[in-house]
Amino acid sequence: LARTLSRRSASLMQRVYGQPPTKLDMAPEQNNGSEANSSDEEFFVPKGQRKQTMNELPTFDDIDAEDCSKFFKEKLRDWSNEDLIHSIRDRFVTGNWSK
Amino acid sequence: MVRRLSGSRYFRQRLVLATLKATTITIEDIRSGDAAPGLRPHEVSLLRLLDKISDQHRVEVNETGTKLRYKPGQILGGTGLEHDCGVHRGIGYFLEPLILLGLFAKRPISIRLKGITNDTKDPSVDTFRMATLHMLKRFGVPLEGLELKIDSRGSPPLGGGEVFLRVPIINSALTAVNWVDEGMVKRIRGVSFSTRVSAQFENRIIYAARGIFNRFIPDVHIFTDHRSGSAGGRSPGYGVSLVAETTTGCLLSVDATVSYPHVDEMNEESENPGVMSPEDLGVQVASMLLEEVDQGGVVDSTHQGLLFMLCALCPPDVSKVRVGQLTTYGIETLRNIRDFLDVKFFIEPNPNSNTVTLKCVGAGLHNRNRKHS
Repeated sequence: LARTLSRRSASLMQRVYGQPPTKLDMAPEQNNGSEANSSDEEFFVPKGQRKQTMNELPTFDDIDAEDCSKFFKEKLRDWSNEDLIHSIRDRFVTGNWSK
Repeated sequence: MVRRLSGSRYFRQRLVLATLKATTITIEDIRSGDAAPGLRPHEVSLLRLLDKISDQHRVEVNETGTKLRYKPGQILGGTGLEHDCGVHRGIGYFLEPLILLGLFAKRPISIRLKGITNDTKDPSVDTFRMATLHMLKRFGVPLEGLELKIDSRGSPPLGGGEVFLRVPIINSALTAVNWVDEGMVKRIRGVSFSTRVSAQFENRIIYAARGIFNRFIPDVHIFTDHRSGSAGGRSPGYGVSLVAETTTGCLLSVDATVSYPHVDEMNEESENPGVMSPEDLGVQVASMLLEEVDQGGVVDSTHQGLLFMLCALCPPDVSKVRVGQLTTYGIETLRNIRDFLDVKFFIEPNPNSNTVTLKCVGAGLHNRNRKHS
């Protein structure tokens, strides 16, 4: 069990610090590359193109992602549901903590 | 020594970290692929705010605003300051960096901020007052001198709110925390507000929210704050901020605001999207708070970034904190901290509770500005 635990922790560390930084370093390069390769006809790229991708969820790759610390949960669960109520019952002082 | 960055993201954190670490940064490609390239008005406003509280710094922006060079100076602070935050982002956008910088300033800051007090993108001023400021206390920030007063409220799109903020300075450094016990929720507090609409809206929000909470805990008290006339800003709107307080003194906060869209925006949309009713808002906010309780961290998802920042700015002692699921913003904060302060967190998931424990050794940042005085 201890081994699986350490493995999980390693993978979470990797998720935060591991892969993505290389991706971040790559991102601007790819941009530059495509600009350099583009021929004259492709020189004028409609700037509106970005707008279409705006609807997507924020990703780590978007270097112009909006600076928001506020957290949004896309889908809220229905908290009048008995099972859900029961699941966090003991997180309140009114819960049953003799268990 | 110049750190090169690209893109407009995490603009605030980059500026704050660069200032505290006294690193010159250049940011390139700021929305260079966008139909409207360059810095946005709120980012320019933030730079102006930075200008007001610091000295011997230099900010250079190119003509299109896609390139920025920032050489940090001293954070002076000072009293009697004033800043118009504009109406592109809420005051919450400015409060986060301002509080962090204020702690490391030469003199305590007292500043009057004008703009939007409650909106959908940034934490509301109520959240700051009820939860964020109390979080600083854990890190050894003196509570006297830490104050946020809401003089008038302003909803989007036109704002018109005004708050008064005082941030004390820390004498030498923050204190590291060992903060892992989230405790049990013992009460729920909150404030509902309305600007330029009937005061009855607040009661409807509270009634709906209380309907959800009744199944969990009886100790729920949500205050009302109805603003009319000039204290109600220039736009109609309503909303609510809630805080769940636990037995160990942790504060989990959520907030939501409903405002009426601008007339122009309504014409653009093919049909009027309609605004959320106070009842639906009450149920939504209550559900959001329960989701946060379910997460089981010592802070809510919104405050993860600030929590990690404070831990990293501590003296070289071990800080240990526990949060729920890591948010995108939280993860990016961890990366920025590593890049600027060279502090790497040890991250360990707790499978039984679905929480994450983070440990780090602080970067040992002292209040350099104060030493000079």
